[in-house]
Amino acid sequence: MKYTIKHRTWYAYAEAAPVCHNMLHLAPRDMPRQVCSDYRLRIVPEPAFIMRRTDWFGNFVDYFSIEGSHNGLEVLSQSIVRLSPPPKLTPSESLPWEAVVRQSTPEASAADLSVYQLTLRSPRVRPSVQLRDYALPSFVAGRPLLEAIIDLTARIHRDFEFDPKATTVHTPLEELLRLRRGVCQDFAHLAIGCVRSMGLPGRYVSGYLRTTPPPGKPRMVGADASHAWASVHCGPLGWIDFDPTNNALIGESHISIAWGRDYSDVCPIQGVFVGGGEHSMGVNVDVIPADEKAA
Amino acid sequence: MDATLFSGYAGAAGSYDEVFSAPGELRPAWRRFIEATEGLPRSEFGRRWEQAQRLLQQNSLAYPDPKDPRARSHPWELDAFPLVIEAAEWRGVAAALRQRATLLDMVLQDVYGPQALIKAGHLPAEAIFRHPGFLLPYCRPGAPPQRILHVYGADVARSPDGRWWVLDDRCESPSGAGFALQNRIAMSRMLPDVIHECRVERLAPYFISVQEHLARLAPDRERARVVWLSQLAGSANYFEDAFLARYLGYTLAEAGDLAVRQNKLYLKTLGGLSPVDVLLRRPNSENCDPLELSDASSMGVAGLLQCLRSNNAAAANGLGSGLLESPLFMAFLPQLSETLLGEPLLMPNVATWWCGDPKSKRYVLSRVSELAIRPAYRRRGVNDSRLLELSRSELTAMIEANPTAYVAQERVRRSTAPVWSGQEVSHSYISLRAFAVSTKDNYEVMPGGLARVSAALGPLDVSLLEGERSKDTWVLSEGPVSSVTLLSAPDEPLALRRGGVDLPSRAAEHFFWLGRQSVRAESLGKLIRAVALRLTSEQDAERIPELQLLIRVLAELGQIEPGYVVDEIKVQMPALEKLLPAAVFDEKTPGTLRATVANLAQLAATVRDLISLDTWRIIRELNDEFQPTKSDDGFLDMLVKVDGLLASLAALTGQFAEGMTRTHAWRFLDFGRRLERTLQASQLIRAVVAEGGGSDPAALESLLEVSDSLMTYRSRYYSRFQLGAVLDLLMTDETNPRSMAFQLVECTSHAAQLPRESVVPGQITEERLAASLLHLIRRTDPQSIAKAYEAGDEEPLDSLLTTIDTTLPKLSDAVSHRYFFHSGSAQRLARN
Repeated sequence: MKYTIKHRTWYAYAEAAPVCHNMLHLAPRDMPRQVCSDYRLRIVPEPAFIMRRTDWFGNFVDYFSIEGSHNGLEVLSQSIVRLSPPPKLTPSESLPWEAVVRQSTPEASAADLSVYQLTLRSPRVRPSVQLRDYALPSFVAGRPLLEAIIDLTARIHRDFEFDPKATTVHTPLEELLRLRRGVCQDFAHLAIGCVRSMGLPGRYVSGYLRTTPPPGKPRMVGADASHAWASVHCGPLGWIDFDPTNNALIGESHISIAWGRDYSDVCPIQGVFVGGGEHSMGVNVDVIPADEKAA
Repeated sequence: MDATLFSGYAGAAGSYDEVFSAPGELRPAWRRFIEATEGLPRSEFGRRWEQAQRLLQQNSLAYPDPKDPRARSHPWELDAFPLVIEAAEWRGVAAALRQRATLLDMVLQDVYGPQALIKAGHLPAEAIFRHPGFLLPYCRPGAPPQRILHVYGADVARSPDGRWWVLDDRCESPSGAGFALQNRIAMSRMLPDVIHECRVERLAPYFISVQEHLARLAPDRERARVVWLSQLAGSANYFEDAFLARYLGYTLAEAGDLAVRQNKLYLKTLGGLSPVDVLLRRPNSENCDPLELSDASSMGVAGLLQCLRSNNAAAANGLGSGLLESPLFMAFLPQLSETLLGEPLLMPNVATWWCGDPKSKRYVLSRVSELAIRPAYRRRGVNDSRLLELSRSELTAMIEANPTAYVAQERVRRSTAPVWSGQEVSHSYISLRAFAVSTKDNYEVMPGGLARVSAALGPLDVSLLEGERSKDTWVLSEGPVSSVTLLSAPDEPLALRRGGVDLPSRAAEHFFWLGRQSVRAESLGKLIRAVALRLTSEQDAERIPELQLLIRVLAELGQIEPGYVVDEIKVQMPALEKLLPAAVFDEKTPGTLRATVANLAQLAATVRDLISLDTWRIIRELNDEFQPTKSDDGFLDMLVKVDGLLASLAALTGQFAEGMTRTHAWRFLDFGRRLERTLQASQLIRAVVAEGGGSDPAALESLLEVSDSLMTYRSRYYSRFQLGAVLDLLMTDETNPRSMAFQLVECTSHAAQLPRESVVPGQITEERLAASLLHLIRRTDPQSIAKAYEAGDEEPLDSLLTTIDTTLPKLSDAVSHRYFFHSGSAQRLARN
């Protein structure tokens, strides 16, 4: 499957700001089933400085600064990404979840700290008794890990309602458990929190989701949004991504940008500016399948 | 003085004593001290000590008291006796600290780089990844090896068997080196001959090494541009930072003074952006970059981490260095030393067990009440004394609930040394903070350090703020002491310079406001004094016609309640005597005299490194003294204090006029003074005239008195007070240094000489505004204004004063906009 993704974000300040510094996690990284063949970035006004590096997790980071009075900022990224179909998984044949927990201890995974590190708390996801209590019904003794994950995904999807107004990027997981409503970021954090509370490695994936228009209707341009889901390390199977917002293991509709411990590691755009007063922002995302004429 | 000075002195039972190896048996180092002090009578010794104390107090290098930030002048207690250490012994200490700094730097480089120690199990992965101070943006995987630990501090103490132990590592940005230097300066004045005779190692070479090392971090050593990044003025380390920055010759900056542009680091100065190569960092790592460390803090310089990563600037210490201040590493350092250096630690650290290790935890729980339990993940500035108060069962429960968060340590019974009360000698416990700085391929240890003493054992363990006194630490040399100073070699020709476009724009702003507040305090003080003097005069209040008018002026200027002036003066009398001191000393309401003085002192503190010691002393003292005292006669007390304040302000004016080089710092200060004086004059004239004083000779006389122009007036017109002549002297007479015209001539000249980009043609805004005001005043005919006023037409005078009152703030704003461009706080973009 091949996609062209256009991701546009704009900010408008109430007053002119003399300078801003920004960090982007917008360039899709290559993954076992994903190749990004083209990535372009257009920033208005023209940055005085821009450079790309990779972060701790191997994601691409574009750092740039705008120097000189400006009233707003627009960031447009365009990527071409090719996905191959996921391997056929047989959940019942995955390892019992306890076995993966044992493999994820510091002693067992010393050589691969990147896996062990993801069993620990992170800035936005702190394993807790409440999370463990919520997760436990899915993790019955000896159950194959993938079955447990599929069950957990379904339960989150069933128990929580999608509601963009219920939470902010700062809502803690305990509060989410009480509210039972939120957005994809919250559900991804919740799933990761559950997984880590069981002693399993879980990571946060930031990306895009292809939206399927209602039958007979064309796809609405700009109606897509950036998306987020969770991933669990399944021992020999490696990382398996699952999307609690849509109650699914990911297939060819999920395009990954970056992964990290949680949202704070891979926030698509973060920036600091001086002055400028209040500001507003807008985002619009187009995920265009290759079989569809680009809008 | 001889050994009898110590008669009656004994160390504490069970502790090593620094002075006596056995009763009456002086240790060799102290024998030298006693020999050198022989012939110095006890009374003379005491007198010199008191002088040294005074010197330190005046320099006010004291920590602000954390419980009361206003009590900044908390006196610095220096003990009369140094801590004396023999050369051979110090060699061992220094070697051990060099080794330890080397080891700590290797650990830091590994943790933020390849993490081989964690992968091989020498450091538990949990301990690192759970550590709240371990932040991913600090990591530089794949980058070539680079020093992270440039300056290191160690708290060491001596156990009863005489061995030294490391109790704490200070890796973020160790404080105290400035205090050690201050102590040495004071002791050198107190006992110059003794220091000389004892052949005490000098501290200056250490600071030269600091300079050399920091210069080495710059691309061009000869022109290294080093900035001392301090915390905000008023923070615990600020005075030490200001002192050391000045001593080392570095610009003192706050994060707001720095900027990253095109991935390079700059200091915002009046002359524009000035490149910075090396940052000597005081704030904690997590407060250094609001872009990348945004979850931790909103302070710092946006883009700094990327700039450091690109090697476009260097930070000492590197970001993240504070990680190793956590005591948990002490549990692993003995083994890490074997692994990384192939040798044991030359100086042991206090035995430490990390409860994250199950075996260690069991051991700790079996000895909970004997061991000191501490948080495993210490962070600088976070006080952990709370744990000292918990019971055994509380500690056990806490450890069981979260074992990885705690360590346990053996307690060290510290050594004792004599302290002098002025009358007698008693013993106190000793903690020594030693310092090391990186050299090209090793570390150099300061021969000396900051010794703190406490009569009880506990407090010294908590922080550098604790302890009752400090001591200068003398390391005795075996050979002659070389005399190096920080002054450059005499044969090296200096490039001549006229300063200071490299003045940070924040400092320029503070000077501007320092100027404004100093004049404001003076004007207010004069008015209040005029009122107070009349109230205490022998005449009845009713017989002083201008008194009621002056009171109304005070109300007009917002110094007392406006409703107050309505009543009959007789009724007011007792109330005013109560009310006026309360209003004058009210620090909480902005604009009162006390608040103005406090603000003046605050502003001076922020530019402490740029003003002379004498200037600082005047400001500090006037701030300390201008406080209400609880006395029955609050009114008289106020009068005396206002009088004293005015005398101090006059001295300050003298310092500004005669004691400051005509740099931009002075120019901004004086600009502020001139501007404020014009504003005050205008407001005063308006208030007096508005209250109907324009044709009242007594009112005009007091207006001249408060405006400091009465003598001149009398010499010209004797006792005939007329509005026209008064307005001429106070407004249009350019020979009167108190007149508006005089101020505006100066303002115009300052505006023309402020730094600017040369490409801007013509006059800049502030130049135009100042010139237009001067022109207005020069065009004014005081006689015709006065004639109109006396004929009942107040409009000409009113419109003149209104123009002045509205243009001056514009002038002030224009200066702010052009030069104080650090202003404006950083905010974060919303995230989606």
